[in-house]
Amino acid sequence: MKILILTRKFVDGDDVSEYVKKLAETLVEEGHEASVLAFDDGGYYSVDERVEVERVPLHYEGDSLYSWSMMLNNEMKEKAREYLEEEDFDIIHANDWVTVPGATAIKKHFERPFVLTVHSTENERGFNDPNSEVISEMEWKGCYNADRIFVNSQSTYDSVVHDLDVPEGKLELLNPLSDEWTESVLKNYENLLNLREIDV
Amino acid sequence: MRPLFITWEYPPYKAGGIAAHCEDLATTMADQGHSPVVITFGEKEEKEFRDGVEIHRVPSNNGADNTVSWAMALGDRMEKKAIELNKTHQFDLVHGHDWMSVPGATGIKKTLGLPMVFTVHSTQQGRDGIDSDYQRAIHNLEWLGTYEADQVITVGRDFCGEVQHIYEVPEEKINYIPNGVNLEKFDSHTNNLNKNDYALDWEEIILFVGRMYPQKGPGHLIEAMPHILDQKPEAKFVMCGSGATEHYKGLAKKQVGDKVHFPGYVSDNELLSLMKSAEMTVAPSVYEPFGIVPLEAAACETATVGSYTGGMKDTIVHEYTGLHTYPADSNSITHQVTRALNDPSWADWLGDNARERVEDNFRWEQICAWTTGIYNKAVDQR
Repeated sequence: MKILILTRKFVDGDDVSEYVKKLAETLVEEGHEASVLAFDDGGYYSVDERVEVERVPLHYEGDSLYSWSMMLNNEMKEKAREYLEEEDFDIIHANDWVTVPGATAIKKHFERPFVLTVHSTENERGFNDPNSEVISEMEWKGCYNADRIFVNSQSTYDSVVHDLDVPEGKLELLNPLSDEWTESVLKNYENLLNLREIDV
Repeated sequence: MRPLFITWEYPPYKAGGIAAHCEDLATTMADQGHSPVVITFGEKEEKEFRDGVEIHRVPSNNGADNTVSWAMALGDRMEKKAIELNKTHQFDLVHGHDWMSVPGATGIKKTLGLPMVFTVHSTQQGRDGIDSDYQRAIHNLEWLGTYEADQVITVGRDFCGEVQHIYEVPEEKINYIPNGVNLEKFDSHTNNLNKNDYALDWEEIILFVGRMYPQKGPGHLIEAMPHILDQKPEAKFVMCGSGATEHYKGLAKKQVGDKVHFPGYVSDNELLSLMKSAEMTVAPSVYEPFGIVPLEAAACETATVGSYTGGMKDTIVHEYTGLHTYPADSNSITHQVTRALNDPSWADWLGDNARERVEDNFRWEQICAWTTGIYNKAVDQR
């Protein structure tokens, strides 16, 4: 299977990037394909060369992280559409609210399963951004539209359940440092694709 | 063709001129056999089919910290609606109007792979500058709209050059198409004005219509008021429009007391009656990419005294359909308003010519045909 992973950053020393790197490398190690779509900040991040990394530039500097992210997602939508037309992919995997708008649009238009990893919620971060309310809504939307949601810690699990009203049935606490992580992630992907087969 | 209009305002909701523009354009397109679909803002999700146009409303999120973020949240929901509609509709292109539409329109363009047309009705630089981060964020969205669009439409001749210059738009994708007026709306309307609501029997109504902001120049007219009254005591100024009304009301009342009236909210119907009854309209704008008021007044056979700036250079022909004043010059306003008041039959003649000129040059049927021509260009480029 081929997974398209969306992340805002793909740089050294960033938790989400480490996670994405591990996810992508695990996939190629297991004989699957992984493409990472990230913002082109001019940086470089070393990763297994079997992982395809595509960086999207953005000619827009907004007045807030929120408005900047929304426009970045437009660029990601275009890139994802190109991927789909050229080589297709099976699942779209977004990371945090910053890549939710793109993943949601792609899921809805191209009808691909959507997995979301919530690394932390706006509530956990203190809800102190001027746009916290719209950011939190974006997290809610992401969780609502995602077919499966992964979290890395118990505190995020609790916040996702209580603050974002997510039914526990589609939420899973998967510790990336545990031995079972690879197996659990792959199993989740496979289940989604099997469900899709049944749907079709 | 099936264009998808993205606009933050569409009647009955309207704040500026984009709502009326979109409605007239979409309705005329429907008359000409096209199938326009509009996605716009609403307090709640709604669907309506009116005058051949399918209208969908989606809410935004009022938790956004400013209008830029608000437009982003709105764009996200508009795109969701577009994706949903596209499953059954097959749009030919997306047509965005002004910066508020840019997040949604570009998202739709990129997800659905559609050509994009972008109409610039005014610029942030012209409205109130690009000094703060917030203003720059708007300016950059305008730039992005022109950058992403396959074809750009501007509503004024001078303005076309301005847009091309500010955003460095390539020659081959920038176009000028004027705004129009829907004459039928004016002709089917009956003037039922109770003049005494606004003026005494012997007074002549001089009408201002526009948002009360410096860009529209109400202050320059207010400055001219006492000088006009010195010569023509029969003048009565009626100032219609929202905005910083209280500020300008205070200024004007201090200058001329009861000789000026701020009616507050005025219905469309009442506004047409006022335009038809007024001796003239005054459009003292300092910056006006197009300016619809002179054309609406013309449809009512009323002449306009307007600043020689932007679109009004084209929509008013000096001493033929109205009178030009120097922008931001109250002496010039005094002079031209007084001239027209001195010779009522000449003012009537100006009004008649204005109407005739609108019939010949600013009809939506024509504007619509130009617009679909540009749609074809955008589609063919793909």
